[in-house]
Amino acid sequence: MSDVQKKTFVVTRFDPDRDQVPKTQSYEVPVEPDWKVLDALNFIKDHIDPTLSHRWSCRMAVCGSCGMLVNGEPKLTCKVALSSYGDTVEVAPLPNFPVIRDLVVELDGFMEKFEHVKPWIIRAKERAVEDGPMRQSPEELEEFKHFSMCINCMLCYAACPVVANEPEFLGPAAIALGHRYSLDSRDEGAGERNRIFRGEGTVFACSYANECSEVCPKNVDPAAAVNQAKLKAVIDWAAGLVLPRRAEE
Amino acid sequence: MPQHAHPEAMAPSKPGSTRTAPPLRPPQLPFAGRYRAYTLFGWTGLLYLLLGFLALRVVWALGDGKQAFDAVIASFEHPLYIAFHVLALVGVVFVGVRFFRLFPKAQPPRIGPVKPPPPAVILTALYAVWIGVTVVFAAILAGGIFA
Amino acid sequence: MKRLLLKVEPILWLLFGQGILIGTLLLTGWVLVLGIAAPLGVVDPISYARAHDLGASLIGRLVLLALIALPLWKGAHHMRHVFIDTGGGDRDATVAPLLYLLAAAGSLVAILAVVRL
Repeated sequence: MSDVQKKTFVVTRFDPDRDQVPKTQSYEVPVEPDWKVLDALNFIKDHIDPTLSHRWSCRMAVCGSCGMLVNGEPKLTCKVALSSYGDTVEVAPLPNFPVIRDLVVELDGFMEKFEHVKPWIIRAKERAVEDGPMRQSPEELEEFKHFSMCINCMLCYAACPVVANEPEFLGPAAIALGHRYSLDSRDEGAGERNRIFRGEGTVFACSYANECSEVCPKNVDPAAAVNQAKLKAVIDWAAGLVLPRRAEE
Repeated sequence: MPQHAHPEAMAPSKPGSTRTAPPLRPPQLPFAGRYRAYTLFGWTGLLYLLLGFLALRVVWALGDGKQAFDAVIASFEHPLYIAFHVLALVGVVFVGVRFFRLFPKAQPPRIGPVKPPPPAVILTALYAVWIGVTVVFAAILAGGIFA
Repeated sequence: MKRLLLKVEPILWLLFGQGILIGTLLLTGWVLVLGIAAPLGVVDPISYARAHDLGASLIGRLVLLALIALPLWKGAHHMRHVFIDTGGGDRDATVAPLLYLLAAAGSLVAILAVVRL
């Protein structure tokens, strides 16, 4: 136990039944050397203050539940080691999201963004079961695979300066997922999504701050996806000028 | 700077059953930490507007005749103009470095059947063109070639 | 206005992108020589006669037009984003057209300037 070190956690608290605005509360936590930020939050909840609310599940950077603001940076709290922080660690809910309670943010608005981008394989004509599976080469898979590794942790939305100011912007993860399907060799819905990308919440609202990609814990690189989607949307728009019938489809 | 994000940021179309606290802004916006370079990149827009209009002034004077052109070129000797142009050069180089770094990954893996070259090749080509155009254009403006 | 902005967004984005790319390529040498080296006496600036000869050629006119107009569109678009980022998103439909009008007006004068060379 000699390795145990005391750290102060300044945690944002908000009780919708009692508080008008969020406030902070400090906790002294005896920290083991191998702990992540999430371990300390769980310690607070289990041993110091059972009223603390925070989301978590898998503890292995796969479920995407435990995204929070740690010392001002959007982080998966199960992934960042406490050893990389000093004696005081500030934990707050993700910015750019309404706060339900303490460190728990409202994610319904986030889920609604995905409905807009049609994140599924669109076919002009459904393939019959007798025709067998749709085949895809490793090269074709390589074109979109990294865009499909998103775990919906919402860190990219918390880091995006455009999300902070333009509520209708579809945002990094949703556009990346839509773009992932448009790049899929089995999909025939790119034209449909290009029109969505040029519509309300347009991809052009993105000012390429690139911070979504900087904070992404899974190296999805949503900024690349959004900006590729811009170019695709422009090409599709220009093609629609030359071939008007194509734009009508 | 407002401490809060847009009140509707990431709000669901129908409010949930509990009251929520309004969304906060990313605390480092606009000038701290990870956003500093991004915000400065945006503000170079002002430099480019000024440079565009200054270039217009030079070209307009070129159409007016020798006296007007020489007067505009001579006016750039004012220390304030020199200071501005030094700042502008820093800004333009900053824009080039940041934009060229972000440019390769913004190319789709395929446009129709055409595949763009690998990112390292695109980046090298961009720098080669940048240096090449700058050397040639500078030599012309210094009266060195096409004499 | 919002609908119109959405409609022309691909054009604005293309002009902005070219403003960064071509604008930066041209402005580096331009600022270096006419803004810094020549005023400091390090080099002699291009003479009027030579500048007029080169500028009045077809390629010269196109280069000068690009040198003026594209940075204006880059600047207008970036200042629009700066305005949005500082909390002005709700007034974008008013501010954005004004910025683009400034760039468009400058571009029109630039066309006139290179035509009359």
